[in-house]
Order: sequence, then structure tokens, then C-alpha cells
Amino acid sequence: MTDTRYIGSHRARPDAADKVTGKVRYIHDISKPGMLYGKIKRSEHAHARIVSIDTTRAERLPGVCAVITGYNTPPVAVGFLRDNSALKRDKVRHFRDEVAAVAAIDPDIAAAAIDLIEVEYEPLPCVFDPLEALEPGAPLVHEQDARGTSVTSNLVPMECGHDSGDVEAARRAAAHIVEGDYSVPLIQQSCLGTAGCIAEFDGNDNLTITAKTQIPFLAQRDFNRALGEMGLRGRNSRVIVPALGGAFGSGLDTHCYEFIAILLAHRTGRPVKILVDREEEFASLSPRQSARVKIAQGCDAQGRLLFRDIEVVQDNGAYASWGATFPTVMLLPVTSLYRVPNVRFTSCIVYTNNTYCQAMRGYGNPEVTWAIDSNLDDLADAAGIDALEMRRINCNEPGEVTPMQMKISTCGLRECLDKTAEHLDWSEKRGAGSGPGQTRTGVGMASLIHVGGSGRIYRSDASGLTVKLDDFGNVNVFYGGVEMGQGLHAVLTMAVADSFGVLPEHVHINQTDTATCPWDVGTHASRGAFMSCNAAILAAEKVRARIFSACEELFPAEIDRALTKLRRDDPELGVPDFDFAAASRADNFELRDSEVFLRDGPDVPWARVPLGRILRAMHFRRDGEMLTESVFYDPPSDLPDWKKGIGNMSACYTYGVQGVEVEVDEDTGEVAIKKLVSALDVGKVLNPPALRGQVYGGIAQGIGYALYEEVKTEQGRILNPNFTDYKLPTACEMDFPIVLEFIETDEPVGPFGAKGAGEPGLVPTAPAIANAIQDAIGVRIRDLPITPEKILAALAKRG
Amino acid sequence: MSATQSEYLRPKDLRAALEHKAATPDARFIAGGTDLLVHARRPGATLPQSLISLRAVAELNEVTVVGATLRIGAAAPLTEVARHPVIAERLPALVASIDVLGSRQIRNVATLGGNLCNASPAADTAPPLLVHDARVELQHVGGRREVPLVEFFRGPGETAIEANEVMTAVLLELPPPNAEAAFERKGRVRMDLAIAIVAGLFELDGSVVRRARVAAGAVAPLPLRLTEVEERLTGSELDDDVIAEARRLTTEAISPISDLRSSADYRRHLTGVFVERMLHGVAGSSVTGRPGA
Ligand SMILES: Cc1cc2nc3c(=O)[nH]c(=O)nc-3n(C[C@H](O)[C@H](O)[C@H](O)COP(=O)(O)OP(=O)(O)OC[C@H]3O[C@@H](n4cnc5c(N)ncnc54)[C@H](O)[C@@H]3O)c2cc1C
Repeated sequence: MTDTRYIGSHRARPDAADKVTGKVRYIHDISKPGMLYGKIKRSEHAHARIVSIDTTRAERLPGVCAVITGYNTPPVAVGFLRDNSALKRDKVRHFRDEVAAVAAIDPDIAAAAIDLIEVEYEPLPCVFDPLEALEPGAPLVHEQDARGTSVTSNLVPMECGHDSGDVEAARRAAAHIVEGDYSVPLIQQSCLGTAGCIAEFDGNDNLTITAKTQIPFLAQRDFNRALGEMGLRGRNSRVIVPALGGAFGSGLDTHCYEFIAILLAHRTGRPVKILVDREEEFASLSPRQSARVKIAQGCDAQGRLLFRDIEVVQDNGAYASWGATFPTVMLLPVTSLYRVPNVRFTSCIVYTNNTYCQAMRGYGNPEVTWAIDSNLDDLADAAGIDALEMRRINCNEPGEVTPMQMKISTCGLRECLDKTAEHLDWSEKRGAGSGPGQTRTGVGMASLIHVGGSGRIYRSDASGLTVKLDDFGNVNVFYGGVEMGQGLHAVLTMAVADSFGVLPEHVHINQTDTATCPWDVGTHASRGAFMSCNAAILAAEKVRARIFSACEELFPAEIDRALTKLRRDDPELGVPDFDFAAASRADNFELRDSEVFLRDGPDVPWARVPLGRILRAMHFRRDGEMLTESVFYDPPSDLPDWKKGIGNMSACYTYGVQGVEVEVDEDTGEVAIKKLVSALDVGKVLNPPALRGQVYGGIAQGIGYALYEEVKTEQGRILNPNFTDYKLPTACEMDFPIVLEFIETDEPVGPFGAKGAGEPGLVPTAPAIANAIQDAIGVRIRDLPITPEKILAALAKRG
Repeated sequence: MSATQSEYLRPKDLRAALEHKAATPDARFIAGGTDLLVHARRPGATLPQSLISLRAVAELNEVTVVGATLRIGAAAPLTEVARHPVIAERLPALVASIDVLGSRQIRNVATLGGNLCNASPAADTAPPLLVHDARVELQHVGGRREVPLVEFFRGPGETAIEANEVMTAVLLELPPPNAEAAFERKGRVRMDLAIAIVAGLFELDGSVVRRARVAAGAVAPLPLRLTEVEERLTGSELDDDVIAEARRLTTEAISPISDLRSSADYRRHLTGVFVERMLHGVAGSSVTGRPGA
């Protein structure tokens, strides 16, 4: 690798010009000749038997090309546990359940046809509370599992737990113990770009689907399986990912609407587009799950944590998505945030007749960090220890092996704590709280650990990358990960430029397409930069070796040619006495900024050969070659044993701290953030503006989670499926100074020393705010979001 | 929203607008469209068959002052209303209510006429206009009438306007220079419909309230004048007891509901806090002698 001149620098991202000029093509902008519009008829009940579906009136509507139901199409199983189906037969388990679908020549006709479909239901008893769903005699959401075996409870068959050391003995030995019941609500990913897809079949029944997904290759697997169920075994699906306007986890599953588009496209023989509008996105895609977290932590008289005991109950909703693997990521902070020798974790995920849930940024981590870091402040109080000191006492250290057997290589947590305290004026402000009039100020902080070297939750955690160099010196990159707004293409461009030694203008990252890009497990777990840049470095080694080896023969000739030409123009040209042929050994070449030169050769312009010339010479010589290389990077980590909650799931770990100063109005219950500090150990800053963007965005989402956001439901129905009623923070709420500190711990397995940083921004925000509120007004809020009404209620109780 | 073709008319003068309306009773006026289009996109809703835009009607876009009477064209964009020098100087509560309405982009197209005709209980400009005893001017092909704003609101989404009428202007008498105006409101986030709004206008004689006008929004089926509170305040000194009583009377006069934005209890509490804050502010400034007082 050459020195890094682009990594760490400020450069406009390659997709910036198209984005700001509106040229970029999202799924909404794409259409195909002859394309039809699909629309879905959803259930009118949270739980009901389907008695009959009458589609005759819809079929007769002019412009309608197909009306499908679960009764006139082959059953297509959907979901992580395959407990869902594209179109429901027999019964519906939530309002979003798909009972029929239409393809028509325009969206209005499709919508009108949907209204003409008549479905008769026989309502069934419902269950919406996960604890009630666990009681004997509760209505069963699923009477059978995906294999057809009868089940007797609403428990989702997904076991994940942990038990290390001796929690009971530690409980007896503890000088201080604090318990608490915490909860987090359903929230929406709220992507600016809503979801959609276009499915089309060629004459050989192979499928091409343009889809908003974060997992093109797992989606290909799911779609191929669906083709098999449709009687098209052996046919292939090609998944193409358009520009995405955000995903935040919403693209980590394949969705019923995609399978319905496939069914409709096959039925009609025409491309079918299904777009999900904002209301539908709320009502029919999967939000972050709500959860209840019961926690107890105990410490000795000196404040050293002795144990942590956590029980999580998660409302899964009616079907299992990848979101059912949330507890696997919860294990990270549960076992390994701060040093704690005895840890017990139990999780239970419960089917209900609520909307089914999915992943969102942080994937279980913010849900449980909310409880851990709030409860830690209370424990510090009980022990009479300052909350910062408490965190210092229990701080993780490099070289540590945690109860989960996670191997902590680099860890900047201590520095993050110190920086945060410094910027917050912790020693001055903590406990000092009084503001003007009815306001009280306070400061609080919370920490985070997250996977920094991808997270192995699937059989393979690898990423392939192919490069194709051409006659003009371009490096075309084919990478299976997804640019969804986070800046993957920007950082990968820099990494290729630096590791290959080419100009970033010559690097072209191609659209993600399963037909051209090598396999990748998906863009999640903050892994995009870590994986793609590591893959780029591997590819660079191969490509450079081939270029330098070819140069042994080609380089002296190129210099001769260049010199001959120069001498023709300038007979006086001074040429140093240097034997290019003798110095042209593979190990003496260097490639930088798209020019090949000799490490110990003269530093003159004519002794530098443009990469394009070398590539053309390689191409057009006898037995010519095109320079293409593929690599497959698999990070050094283990697939944990989830039942035991043991395993080094990531190649390295990212740590961070956020600190907040708040002002609480005791009259109105309003919380105003006065300052926020984020200190994050990212290993190495690869792309400064993009990293700042990730953290700012995370903070905004964290503030939304802390103070505003909640999908409200009543008997399973979503009451606020739009941005009038569901409130996100906007720029107006972000009107306080934010101090960002990045700690560079130079992670050995990280590309250029970097660790993943995509998700962490929102993980500690809510507990940091709650801790600051507690410092300001002496009340502990345990249920998100922290609304003014909850503050007033807590104040009334405090007296 | 159904994409079935809607007719869109853009008359240049009032007469043409009124004639279109008389000829097509189902037609709807559209000013900024920031309520109308949002409603039309609700599930199950459709765009009206015929839309008559008021944006090019010059008479409806002007703000004029004749003597002490201010006339705000019903279709003038809110940004321009707030920027008008007389309004900026003399009607701080109205300006404050415009400053918090939606976003800059919304305020650049939204209008006073639209805010009032939409008749949301949470319309931000209603309480400050109520305390200024504003009147609205309504016209149809055959004539013109003025309706006091308090009588204009009939219920959520319901007003005194007749099917053939357009609102042409909002009229009000400029307050005396020593009058003290106040505006308080809160949403869940800053760009949100209000969960409670309070506006007030006070004329003081030393520390005695000579005239008090108080209005509230988002806490009853219509924007309200709080006459019981006004009566209690008139002739009183603004001491802590009077303020506490005004707060109590306020919470009794309103009838908030619980919805997705807030519980009724919190709305009631917040309205009380706002009235109290407003009165403390007025009491404070009468003592310190703010310029103009
Ligand atoms: C994102 C967003 C945020 C918003 N925030 C706020 C807020 O904070 N506070 C608030 O109060 N409102 C808010 N609104 C609502 C809206 O912007 C205001 O009510 C605005 O003043 C409406 O004015 P308009 O000109 O856009 O009305 P339009 O949508 O054009 O019209 C509204 C209604 O009034 C009728 N109408 C309009 N003008 C006349 C007239 N001259 N004569 C007769 N009938 C007429 C129309 O036919 C229609 O029925 C918000 C809206 C959006 C989209």
C-alpha cells in the first residue's frame, strides 16, 4: 500500500453532484417499457379467518391485468423463519397482512381495483401484549410452525441467552444493587426514500428485480427459493439495487410486497412496479421493535461492577423477520459494556397480533444500552460515587476478553470518557444544576460498544470485491455492498485510490447487481467501510503485483519510447545516466496517482509512465491480458453460540461516549438540549465529513428515540402513520452545539486502522439524555420517549 | 389522492374569481394549498374537480393601512404579512404566530385566509387575531359583509363562510402604542401543529389592567376568547393572586381533548402555564417600564 493521501482527507463524495442536481435515480424514478403498477389489498382485522375473497368486480375493471390471491397463486413462504407468506390463505394475523393484489396499467386503476375486492372474515380473538401472549390460553398467532408442526405457545423459536460466572453469588456479595424496569417503543426507520421494487421476467423465466434492499445476495437466495415454489426451480433472480434514500435496517429482509411483485410480473408477463408510499411504509413495513428490559446491576463498596442480570421481552409482532435476531446484538453491551464478571441474560420474543418488527440502526444495542447505562447512574448514586468515576472504575481496556469471549483489541473508552467530561465541564456542572426561573440544568453521559469489524450473524460474514482495469487506466469496482446514503462509494473510492495508487477520478464504483458483483452478506452491522476497504486493500495487493511484474518487461520500453519522442522535440534534453532496464525489478516499482515509476529512479516527469499506457501495453502485446482481480475478504471472527451467548462475533469493537447538557422546564416538562458531546473510538478517521455526517445523523435519530418518536397503536392498528402525527426531530431541534471527538486507536485488523462507525451515533444518546435529566431534576425516566407529560408525572411523584 | 384531472383556474381579479365560483359551486378556492393539498392526499380523499387559485388576484394579496385600520389581503403569503413594516412594528403577537407556523417554505406560500378558512382549532394566527378583535371580509358576486372573527369559527373545519363567498381580507384596528401583546405556544417538536396556544393584549394604567384580551387555541373545538379571564383581569393589579386566579379561570374555560399530540390534561396544564407566564411578563414589564409602556 502507498501512503494515504485520500483517506483522511476532505473530498466531495462521488454521488454528490447527481444528488444535488436531482439526477440520481431512486426506485421512484425508474420505469420500464410496458410496466404495470401493483397494489396490495390488506387485512381489515388484526386476527381473523378468511372466509372468502371475491375478486370478480376488480377483474372486470378496465385496465386491470391481474388479480391474485393466496388461492390462485402458489404459496410463497417469506421471512427469517418462513412463518409468513406473500399472500395469506386461511387467516390473517395483522392489519398489514396481504390478502390480494392487483396489477393494472396505472396506479389509480390499481387502487380502484383494490377497493372492489371483497373479503369476508371471521374475526378471531387477538393478543397485543407480549406478556399476555405468554399466558396459558392466550390466542395463538400461529397454530403451526413453518414445517406444519403444531405449536402450543406464542414464543418465537429463537433462543439467545448468556450465563457466565455466578450471578446469584455476586448478588449476595454486592454492597449495592439497583434494579429497574425499562421500556422502549416501536419506532419507524423513517427513510426519506420510501420502499419499492420492479420485478420483470425474461423469456426464459429468469427474474430481474430492482429492489430497495441492503442484502442483495440474501435477497437473491430468497427470491430464487420463491421461484422454486412458483414451479420455476433452477431459474435465477438477478437483484439490482437502485440509489437508496436511506435504509437504516428496513432493507435487511425480503418483504411480501417484493414477492407479490414477482407473482404479478410472472402472471402478467410484464414488468410490475410496487411503490410503498409514506402511510403504507408506516403501516406495512417493519419498525424497530418495542421491548421491555428488566435489569439489576450490583457493585462492591468501591464501585466495581459485580454482576449484571437482564431479562428482555420483545414484542415480535405477527411474523419473524431478521429482527428476531436482535438479542444476539444485545449480547454485546449486556456482556461487554464496562467490565462485569458475572452476567446473566435471558430473552424471549413473542408473537402478537401487532405489526411485525425488523431491524433498525444499532440492532438491539440501543434498546438494551438504554437500560444498562441509565441503571448504572442509579447504581453510582446508590454507591455514592460520581457517575463519571463509576464508568472509569469499570472501564473496558485493550486486550480484555469479555464474558462473551469477545477479544477487545483496541479500546478507546477511557479516552472517550475523559474527552466527554472535559467538553461538558463535568466536574463543574454535574450536580450543580439550577437554571433561570423554572428551569433546571443537568449533565449526563452514557457509553457504547458496538461491532467494529462486522458482526457475524450468518454462516458467512464475507465480502467479495472485483476490479476491472481498462485501457484508459480506469479502475471499475464491483462490490456487493449497498450505498444507501451513508457514503460507502465515497470511502471505497478513497480506499481504492490509496491502496492501488490511482487517482480517485479513475475509480468507478458500479451499481450493486448480483449478476456482476461478488457475494456480500449485506450492508449492516456498521460493516460497509470496514469490509469494502479491507477487500480493496487485498485487491490492490494482487493488482499491483501483476502490474509491477508486467512492468519488468514493459517499463524500460515505455521509457525508451517516451525519451525518443522527447529528444525528437528537444535534442538538448538532459538525460541522467541511469540504467532503467537494470532497475526494472518488480519490487522496485511504485504506483501512485495513476503513474508507475521506479522507487530509486530519477524523479523526472518522463520517468513516470501513466497507468493507462502500461495497461494498454499489457493488453495489446502478444498473449495480452486484461487486468481483472477478485478477492473475498472474510474477517477474523466467530459465529457465536447464541444459546450460550459465547463467541467473538466481530473482528474488533468500536467504543464511544456521549455526554449531554440539558435544561428542563419544570413548569412545562420540556427538555431542551444545550450541548452534546460525542467521543467515538473509530480506530482511524477514513472520510472526515462522511464520518461527521454519520454521527450527526445518529445523534438526531438518538434524540428522536429519546424524546419524540413512537409508533402508536390501538388494538394492533397504527394510529400515526405519517409525519404529521409521528414526530421526528428536524434541523430546528438540532440547534445546540455538538462537539465531536474522534479517538484514533489504529485497529490492527481495520483497513488503514479503522473500525466500523455507521450505527454507534444513536446508541448512547437516550440514556445520556435521561442521565442528564436525572441530574437536573432528580427524576429517573425509564420509558422512552421522554415526553413532557412523563417528566411532569415524575415531578409530581417526586414532590 | 386520485389523479383524475382537476380543473385549475387562475383568475387575475376578484370579479373573475367570484364569477367562476358562482358558475361552479363545487369549485374550491386554493391559496397556498398547504392545507387543501394535504387534505386531498389523505387516504380516501380526492382532489376537488375544480380549483380556483387566489394567488394572482391582486386585491387579495395586498396589505394596506387606512388610518388606524389595517387590511391584510386574505391571500397574501404569511412571510410578506409578517414583513410588512406596520405589522412588524405594531402586531408582535401576530408576527410571533406566523414565525412558528410550519416552516419557511410553508410560510412563503401559506396565507392568513387559508389558515382561518381551514378553521383548525390549532390555527396559529387565530388567537392573536382574536385578541385584536379582527374582522374578516367576505365577498360574493352580489355583495360584501364583515364578520367578527369570534363569530367566524363555528367548529373544527366549520366557519360562517357561505358556499358562494370568498374571504377577501382580515381587518383590524391597530392597538394603541402602549398596548402589550403576548403569544405563547408549543408543539411536540418545533415544526408541529400546536398543542396549546395563548395570545393576549393588555392595556395598563400604571400597574392596573385597564383592558385585557386573552385568547387560546388548540384547547377547544374552536379558537376561543377567554372572556371570564379578561373580566377578572380588568381593573385589577397583576399580583400573584390575580394571576393564579386567571390561570384557574383559564383552565376552566377551555375544553381540550386528548389526541395523538397530547393528552387533555397536559393541554389544560400548559394553557394555564402560558397564561401565568404571559401575565407575569406583562406585570414585569409594567414595573420596569418597557419602551412604549
Ligand atoms: C408542513 C406543514 C406545517 C404546517 N404547520 C402549521 C402550523 O404550525 N400552524 C398552523 O396553523 N398551520 C400549519 N399548517 C397548515 C397550513 O399551512 C396553514 O393553515 C396555512 O395558513 C393555510 O393557508 P393556505 O393558503 O396554504 O391554505 P389553502 O390550503 O390554500 O386553503 C385552506 C382552506 O381554506 C380555503 N381558502 C383558502 N383561502 C381562502 C379564501 N381567501 N377564501 C375562502 N376560502 C379560502 C381553501 O378552499 C381550503 O379549504 C401546516 C401545513 C403544513 C403542510
